[in-house]
Amino acid sequence: MFSIKPLKPTLKSCVPPLQPDMKKAPQLTIRKLEAKLLPGEIVVSEVNFVRKCMGTGCSQDDLWGKLICTNFKVSFVSHEVLDRQVFQYRNRLLGDHDVPLACVEQLVTVNEAKGKQKVLLSNRKLKFSPTELVLYCKDLRVLRFRFDEAGPESSRKVCLAIAHYAQPTDPRLLFGFEYVGKLYRPPAGEHGGRLQTPLFICPSDWDREVKRTGATEWRVCSVNEGYAVSPSLPEHFVVPASLADQDLKQLSCSFVGQRLPLWCWNHLNGSALVRTAGIRDVAEQRKLEQRVCNAITKSHPKRSSAHKVHLDRSLPSIRDVRASFVRLRQLCAIGPYQESEDKWLSSVESTGWLDNVRAFLQQSVEVVYMLEGKHVSVILQEEEDRDLSCVISCLVQLMLDPHFRSLVGFQSLVQKEWVMGGHRFLDRCNHLKRSEGEESPMFLLFLDCVWQLMRQHPAAFEFTEIYLAVLCDSMWIPVFSTFLFNCPRQWAEYSQDFTQSGQQGEDRAVRFPPVWDWSQQFSLRDQTLFNSPMYVGKGVAARVQNGGVRTFRRAKPKIYSSMVRGTASMQNGVLGAHATLPRRNSLVLRLLSGSETPAQPDSPDSASQCFVRDWLSRPADPHGLLLPELLPSHLQLWRFYFLRWVSEARIARGGPITALHRLSLLVDEIETLQARLRQYGGTSTPPGLPPGSPDPGLTHRMPSEQSKMYFKTGPLAGPPQQPEYLSSSFPFSPVGNLSRPSTLGTPLSKLLSGAGL
Amino acid sequence: MEKSGSADSLGSKRSSSRQPSVDSLTRYRCVTVTCVSLCHGVAASDVTYICPFLGAIRGSLTVTNYRLFFKCLDKDPAFVLDLPVGVISRVEKIGAISAQGEVSFGLVCKDIRNLRFAHRYQEGSLKKSIFELVNKFAFPVSNALRMFAFEYGQPFPENGWKVYDPLAEYKRQGLPNESWRITKANEHYDVCETYPATLVVPANIPDEELKRVAAFRAKGRIPVLSWIHPETQATVTRCSQPMVGVNGKRSKEDEKHLQAIMDANAQSHKLFIFDARPPVNAAANKMKGGGFESEDAYQNAELVFLDIHNIHVMRESLRKLKEVVYPNIEESHWLSNLESTHWLEHIKLILAGALRIADKVESGKTSVVVHCSDGWDRTAQLSSLAMLMLDGFYRTLRGFQVLVEKEWLSFGHRFQLRIGHGDRNHTDADRSPVFLQFIDCVWQMTRQFPAAFEFNEFFLITILDHLYSCLFGTFLCNSEQQRLEEDLPKRTVSLWSYINSQHEEFTNPLYVDYANHVLYPVVSMRHLELWVGYYIRWNPRMRPQEPLHQHYRELLAKRAELQRKVEELQREVAGRVAVAPPEKAGSPAGSPVQTCV
Repeated sequence: MFSIKPLKPTLKSCVPPLQPDMKKAPQLTIRKLEAKLLPGEIVVSEVNFVRKCMGTGCSQDDLWGKLICTNFKVSFVSHEVLDRQVFQYRNRLLGDHDVPLACVEQLVTVNEAKGKQKVLLSNRKLKFSPTELVLYCKDLRVLRFRFDEAGPESSRKVCLAIAHYAQPTDPRLLFGFEYVGKLYRPPAGEHGGRLQTPLFICPSDWDREVKRTGATEWRVCSVNEGYAVSPSLPEHFVVPASLADQDLKQLSCSFVGQRLPLWCWNHLNGSALVRTAGIRDVAEQRKLEQRVCNAITKSHPKRSSAHKVHLDRSLPSIRDVRASFVRLRQLCAIGPYQESEDKWLSSVESTGWLDNVRAFLQQSVEVVYMLEGKHVSVILQEEEDRDLSCVISCLVQLMLDPHFRSLVGFQSLVQKEWVMGGHRFLDRCNHLKRSEGEESPMFLLFLDCVWQLMRQHPAAFEFTEIYLAVLCDSMWIPVFSTFLFNCPRQWAEYSQDFTQSGQQGEDRAVRFPPVWDWSQQFSLRDQTLFNSPMYVGKGVAARVQNGGVRTFRRAKPKIYSSMVRGTASMQNGVLGAHATLPRRNSLVLRLLSGSETPAQPDSPDSASQCFVRDWLSRPADPHGLLLPELLPSHLQLWRFYFLRWVSEARIARGGPITALHRLSLLVDEIETLQARLRQYGGTSTPPGLPPGSPDPGLTHRMPSEQSKMYFKTGPLAGPPQQPEYLSSSFPFSPVGNLSRPSTLGTPLSKLLSGAGL
Repeated sequence: MEKSGSADSLGSKRSSSRQPSVDSLTRYRCVTVTCVSLCHGVAASDVTYICPFLGAIRGSLTVTNYRLFFKCLDKDPAFVLDLPVGVISRVEKIGAISAQGEVSFGLVCKDIRNLRFAHRYQEGSLKKSIFELVNKFAFPVSNALRMFAFEYGQPFPENGWKVYDPLAEYKRQGLPNESWRITKANEHYDVCETYPATLVVPANIPDEELKRVAAFRAKGRIPVLSWIHPETQATVTRCSQPMVGVNGKRSKEDEKHLQAIMDANAQSHKLFIFDARPPVNAAANKMKGGGFESEDAYQNAELVFLDIHNIHVMRESLRKLKEVVYPNIEESHWLSNLESTHWLEHIKLILAGALRIADKVESGKTSVVVHCSDGWDRTAQLSSLAMLMLDGFYRTLRGFQVLVEKEWLSFGHRFQLRIGHGDRNHTDADRSPVFLQFIDCVWQMTRQFPAAFEFNEFFLITILDHLYSCLFGTFLCNSEQQRLEEDLPKRTVSLWSYINSQHEEFTNPLYVDYANHVLYPVVSMRHLELWVGYYIRWNPRMRPQEPLHQHYRELLAKRAELQRKVEELQREVAGRVAVAPPEKAGSPAGSPVQTCV
């Protein structure tokens, strides 16, 4: 009853998902149409002879295969295999056509003949046999399956199974529990060097961070051990040195969620960034605020009083953010392509997404100004301190501290402010489909803000936009501790359950893997897609990591001064300037500070605006303070993320990746040369070569795994060729379209066939 | 009247004069300024520049026959405003003399700026206001003066007027061949006075017939070849509208001519005629004797309208855009305000038209005829953009110059009229940002294919800056014939002389030359963006993005250094080995750095 069609031999490399780097040679296997299952994964329901619709147009490109629902994913396996050459990167947990159940936003069943359509919810009945199933995914994909040739009963069963499993009611039903219970071992120690990201579970991680930032008047407290004080705070965190544990316990009762003020970061001028929840007891409010503020003031070297920012008042709410995201998703991924073309700009505007991005960046700049410009500590206050403050504190730290712009630094930042900060990932992702009201794409919003910064300052970040997108997608793979829980305590509790029920009786507590263990998802080679070739000067970041505390100041541009000068000359403006001179707008400050303050024709310039202008007037230093330009014309839609699945919007052999490709090759070449140089250094110090051994410079043992770049220079000399498969959505692909050879013209011919021109 | 003094300050102000295009010119201009008498130069102290961003700034203003130069030395660093007077399209006195005895002047510029100055002015004094001088020098044509380009005598190592040689370019395309011949019929510009002297026409159409075809085409602009596909022989040909009129006139010769164009391509038995206009406008042209080809008269031809609007619509759109982007950008409704200018929509239609042409030629292997009404505005945009997509040569620094020289300058885009060089009449209905749109389209393509163009954004901005500056002769006059009459190649300097003398500044280091790579940009509002680096460059709240290619240059330098070191070490090792065991002497020498290109 399985496959009546002749099976084609396939060239699929069978890399077992959990054996990192034990790649077997691609094997020629006769494959049955079966889902590849992860440990702990079981098939729930399946149906054969399903057609997966490719693209939006004609059906001739559709793939035939089997649709399978497991307890983890919706899987589609086909006889026809996508060309590996084209499909360059793969996720170890998911096949090319797979969607994790947690990623399914909505599922719609259609019966064309009866003209019926139904949004399928868990435990609902389906009275008709579907001819079509449409999956709307949280990562903005839209997948269509047709059941014309499939058995009506099994089609119906599969749809119901997906609906049921996609909407679990208890966290324990999330696949992570099956998966982790069976297999996960945390990588041993520093071996492989892949898990350098501190998780901020143990006090030493906090301690290192306190030392790194030179926060001498702050201490790591363990008052919340066993989550005795607050359920949503981590067990260890940092508080003003002047507050004793006893004070903390006493204070905690008055805060929403018993969330004590939480230290985030210290500026080297001594100003601190602190986040705190609201105070429940209105009567006590003043007194308490005073106490907390005093303690923070005491921790400031100049004893200057702290500045409080009420995030709830100045920022869009999580509901606003969700609403704008829903509109944007509709526009970018779901709505018809041609219809939105005419009013595209105003449609994007009316989603309000970019306004939200701007509001958060703007607020962060204000905070940066207080810390950097006015040398005062800042307290971010939000009612619950678990959403808006995660975004703002992270953005502020990214702008001020170059350490967080390295890959490991960024991960530690997310771990510290989001995971340990108690962002309700479980609720915000709505993994349990409980309440729509709690769902909100705050983390995506944050990543979008990071992308805006990165777009404006490409040399300042160690990672690429591919990394940001992959990180965002990982939220929908429910196996990572990072995104699975509402707070550290929940994570600890569920981990505990496991050790107690421990089927294997291991002495070691089984943990959920953090998403930072990227080998769970990708090979080392694929992970190099995260590294940006534009990042300059790892040296500084390294120094910061070593505990040196004086590096995140704006350094004098040295080697890169010519780059900066080039930047200035691109300005071509009347007011443009040479990098050697303080640039044009430092004038602003002078004008304003002078006795004759000119009438400001446009806006009343606040001090922080002057601060920004003054900064903009100077050449940017990738290792110094970074500020975003906030003119509405300078914020853009994150096309790569939002349009990556839209085949019509895909620029074949174009897009920013083509520039990245060129840069990567060059960086790779430089790395190779450096490695070679080290070798020569090594081999030439002992005089002469051991006789008989070939010159090490000749044999190719450039350890290619060490290369940080995905694109490498080939063995052939000559101008490097750009791979055909590059496109503006690489490494993602509007699946299907890419797998066909004749696709170059597809979107074009559709465009040319008349519509919309 | 500090003549030489002001001239000196122009030269020595190099470090603080901040406009790079002008800046980099200064080193040449130092010579110019001294050899060309600057007796027209006038300086006035105590002028206030009312900056829309920074407020009032007091300083001195110098006006010469080339530039307007404002500086404020009280400030540290000095504030400098430096622009060629050619960029000014209008000088207007704003209001009456104020109580403080100040008059206010507004300068409307062609490069999306408005400048406002105020200065003290005594009534009844014999001295003219300095702005009357601006009025004089900014509009030499209206004042019967010579354009500054004729004064500018800077020698450059290369003569840019020689960049484009039509015969060489056609030879590069493989012309003439058995189906196409090069004709000198227009040598004296009597077939068509706005066409170049050298034309490529179907081989079987004799010169006498061309004149009869010309009689049927508006302004005598007959269908001639612009580009031929090296493999399929499909061609891009351009012309003006046929003079069909209300009665539906026909011309045997014209029909034969188009048939010959179709026959010259054996791959296809069809011919596509792309009429750039919206169908309504094309039909309306019949009232004025023009119109479009009927498919009855032209067998096997298919007519497609591309819906691109005329020069007046485009001018209006740019005016609206200027309102939206200068001086300040409204914080809210930015995108819908931008949308309401329709600027990007026009860009999209032009690019979409060019894309359809390129696709017909490349994928359809079919020859195309492109025209609008007169065939010198939209037609130039479409043919040149299609050629840019089809032929990698035009994406090189020099190839692009050839493209502009060929499709725009030699085929008579009326730069003088469209830009209004030196002409006071700023309301002239013939002005239109047609060429700016073309450059904008090119920029959009460079955004989508960052490694496919040899030139960079700075190159495009420089072209636009000198489109207005009147420093070079390149964009003066309306046609090849006029340029020769004026003897421009002898009497003026070409912009390309300047550019090619320091081409590294204009080169995109990410460029990779992919042979026969046709570019298909995605023509969608999703990917089109406003060229902030050009339209919003005056805003001090904008900082140019750190260009990738600067980083790339750094890396190139680093690589070179490393290669040098590696080679040194290799030599050292080789030396040592050569001393020790002689049988191994050969091997290290054979280990060059494989990766070096």
